[in-house]
Amino acid sequence: MKILLVTSVHPWSRSVSTIQKWTRAGRALGHDVAVYGDPIPDLPSLPRTTDLDGVDIAVLVLQVAADLPGMPRLARLLDRIPRERRVVADLWGRFNDTVRVEHDFNHLEKLDEHQGWEWVDAMQAFSEIITQPALSPLRPNVRSFLFHGYERGSVARHYEHAGEAAAAWRAAGASEKPYGAMYIGSNWQRWDQVRRFLLDYEPVRARIGRACLMGWHWDSRPEFAVRLGLKGIDTDAALLAELDVQVHQGVRFDEVTRLLGKARFVPVFHRPLFRHLGLVTVRTFETFYADALPVLLLPRDLVAAIYGEAALELVPGDSLAEHLTLAMERPEDHWDAVLKTRRHLARHHSFAQRLCELEALVRGAGRGGMAS
Amino acid sequence: MNVLFIMKTRGDAGSTHAVANYARVAGRHGHAVAIYGEPIRYVPDLPMSTEIESFDRVVYLFESELYQIKPMHQAVMLARFPRDARLIVDTDGMYRPLIHLDGYDFNHRSEAERAAWVDHVDSLGDHVVHTVLPSARDGRVGALPFFGYDPQSRMPASSAPLKTYDILHLGHNWWRWRQVSSELLPAIGQIRDQVGRIAFVGLWWDRPPTEGPAAGPEEAFQSDPGLMRRLRIEMPQAVMYHDVIKTMSSARINILTQRPLLRHLRHLTLKYFEIFCADTIPLLMLDRDHAEAVYGPAARELVLSGNVAAKLLDALRRPDDYRQVVDDVRRHLVAHHSYDRLVEHLVATFGT
Repeated sequence: MKILLVTSVHPWSRSVSTIQKWTRAGRALGHDVAVYGDPIPDLPSLPRTTDLDGVDIAVLVLQVAADLPGMPRLARLLDRIPRERRVVADLWGRFNDTVRVEHDFNHLEKLDEHQGWEWVDAMQAFSEIITQPALSPLRPNVRSFLFHGYERGSVARHYEHAGEAAAAWRAAGASEKPYGAMYIGSNWQRWDQVRRFLLDYEPVRARIGRACLMGWHWDSRPEFAVRLGLKGIDTDAALLAELDVQVHQGVRFDEVTRLLGKARFVPVFHRPLFRHLGLVTVRTFETFYADALPVLLLPRDLVAAIYGEAALELVPGDSLAEHLTLAMERPEDHWDAVLKTRRHLARHHSFAQRLCELEALVRGAGRGGMAS
Repeated sequence: MNVLFIMKTRGDAGSTHAVANYARVAGRHGHAVAIYGEPIRYVPDLPMSTEIESFDRVVYLFESELYQIKPMHQAVMLARFPRDARLIVDTDGMYRPLIHLDGYDFNHRSEAERAAWVDHVDSLGDHVVHTVLPSARDGRVGALPFFGYDPQSRMPASSAPLKTYDILHLGHNWWRWRQVSSELLPAIGQIRDQVGRIAFVGLWWDRPPTEGPAAGPEEAFQSDPGLMRRLRIEMPQAVMYHDVIKTMSSARINILTQRPLLRHLRHLTLKYFEIFCADTIPLLMLDRDHAEAVYGPAARELVLSGNVAAKLLDALRRPDDYRQVVDDVRRHLVAHHSYDRLVEHLVATFGT
């Protein structure tokens, strides 16, 4: 199949890691997968194309308004690829009524100059096959298609069994793992969760190691957030200093796995909107590539459904400190859960699986299988 | 046929006014015309619509700027209107080979700019029309006169405002300075003491655009406000499209100029026709043959060339004679350039 991914890509943000893996996995399976547009100097290995001949499926991967190409490429795309071969992957839940969860939202005109109906109309113009990376999208005419996936080959370090992993993890010194916990991701609607994590982590910080945040806007509230009055992008430099949290700017997507491995624990958060809509992200899967123990700060039912039952071991109970202390004392149990989860992810969430799901979506629609 | 225009709307621009005229007469022919967008507060009678589903054809109208709607809206348009339901109207000669005239006016600065423009237009559709009289020379690109004469807009002498001015020029200073400064102003200078008030109504005569280079090439706005003031030429603000004819009617003579590129390409503009709706004597700084082709043979008398100063004085001194000529031209315009004809022409351009 010739698959065209239509989206904007940026080495430091959003879903570039997933996009890269789609192209790589697709090509490994004999498909021609490329991103619509000209080559990007910062991403020389990412296949790009403007050749629309013979495209079997075009996937509009929509997160921000810029993901929709401008003219004249938009016209070529819509005129040359039949509607029934086009799919929308609505990664941020835009194809919904306007939702506000805590400070988070799916539409905000003052931020991107688009109202909710504009997102909805544009997606419907692109395709009848509208998907979201959720197991149960809210709207009945939206299909579940997780889009993000797990690439076994991206795991930083493979272990035969939990004992081996736990031994390596335990033996890692300060030079290998200078941090007790690390979160990589930008400060976008995550501050409340991160703050709570850091406060809960404080009792065990001295024993496990300092925490690190890597991403944009953890050091100070950005000017645009102040100007637009956006909450949910708050930060507290004094608190971070008091908790001895190391703060770094954002990192390239291809550095994430290696850097996460510098910590013992790597939390997984989903922003409030995503929790509400049940949306998964790049980091939902990518965190399991790292040579570190994930801490799944996610709803248990979502964890079981996506990661498998074994992953529930990685969900803290009421006390984060107790959970981490236990992991420090008996890492074998946690690593056992990690290795089982990795196998589950490889079996159920590979990009090969995603390709099959995509093809089935298009075939199903072609047979009139779409919900109305 | 219900036709939606996608275009930059400006209350003081000819294309906007023309489409308002199409919208007004379209109903008489069983059609509907509107401009895509929300109602505009300061031109509330402009026919705006965002009800895309109500339309079955779309016109992308481009002037000298590659006007674009938001990609999300564009996606909806492209999905709604297949290629054969799209028409591109090129009012400013941009969908043409690269043209540079005498080191002054041009359609594109470079071949690369032109190629990007053409690429954009080609991506939108296969059917492009220039706003010219039909001609055998047009090749694969069609012709649609587009701008027309609206007798209902005619300002009768009984309703016309007092003739405040002897001479008026109504139009923005957009590539007009060379013609104005080399032909018109010297003539005005020769006869200034024999003429009453003179005004150039429009933007950029007294100062360049406040937007700076973003507004367009610097040369396009070239002017000498000091010279204008020395000639006691007033430079009032631009007027909204619905005040153009009334404003023109406040002068005994109105002068029609056209930027060199459009004159060279023989593109029509709304001003060609508005000036004959006004209660005034139009004098035309156009090529004589072209004037006849548009306005009929009588218009040769109204062409302002050669001894411009003498012609201006002649028109001021023999207004009744000139009014006869103007009436002849108006009869020609009613017969050949009405919006009723143009609406049918537009519909025919789409085919059925």
